[in-house]
Amino acid sequence: MDVIKQRMTEELTGVKKLALGPLVVPESVVVTWGIMILLVGLSILLTRRLREEKPGKAQLVLEWFVSFINGFAQESLGEHGKLFAPYLGTIGLYIACANLSGLVGVTPPTKDLNVTAALSLMSMFLIYGSSFYFKGLKGGLHKFVEPMPLLLPINLMEVAIRPLSLCMRLFGNVLGSFVIMELIKILAPLIIPIPFSLYFDVFDGMIQTIVFVFLTTLFVAETIE
Amino acid sequence: MLVAIGAAVAVFTGVGAGIGIGIATGKAAESIARQPEAAGQINKALLLGCALAEATAIYGFVVSLALMFMQ
Repeated sequence: MDVIKQRMTEELTGVKKLALGPLVVPESVVVTWGIMILLVGLSILLTRRLREEKPGKAQLVLEWFVSFINGFAQESLGEHGKLFAPYLGTIGLYIACANLSGLVGVTPPTKDLNVTAALSLMSMFLIYGSSFYFKGLKGGLHKFVEPMPLLLPINLMEVAIRPLSLCMRLFGNVLGSFVIMELIKILAPLIIPIPFSLYFDVFDGMIQTIVFVFLTTLFVAETIE
Repeated sequence: MLVAIGAAVAVFTGVGAGIGIGIATGKAAESIARQPEAAGQINKALLLGCALAEATAIYGFVVSLALMFMQ
């Protein structure tokens, strides 16, 4: 019990830092660099030889994915969908890779509260920025007194609560599955963790990605409607 | 000792989330049976509802972890 408690305390309190020469950076940043290299490399590699006739297998998969993101954005945001699709696709790809990175043995970056806080702050700026962009200063401010002026304090509280809940939801889910996986690995290190890992790492990670992107889209759709 | 009891009480938020998600999923299954062509829309609403309901359980879990390990 003491061993478990000590390991959990280590995992939860300390953000692991790696020393790269004179630089000391958190582990989540290093893993994020890895994800960036992977995604940028894949993007360059897969879009090098795009053909209009007789597309290859990779191009077909790519086209399916891009049209899926575009269709999703257009379906939920209407005519403005095209503008938001690149951001939603990017953030979805990043969170998916981050959640799945537990499979290759590194700590998922989304287990770091700072990463999810940054992601949810980006979502907050997107939500309220698009509100002011599409409605103008007056229309954007008027959104705070809808449907009636009495609700102004609640609408103001929402500015803080929305990113907080986005941030804590992603962090809590990844941390929760991480802790449960660690406990299972301590109790039964052989074979038994595999099905649990499929559920907690793959299934739960994908669901949380969809939920994050979907909630961001929904909030944006609500402010620009 | 009191810390452990506090953590246990905090993790009790999972009860509410479990009941909520159970009811939502049951209703979704019912409505898909009644109207299979609206399955896509129903799934979307269900996913959103589950995410929001699940958040309370996650908050309780985070609080209990903080109580147990982050003193």
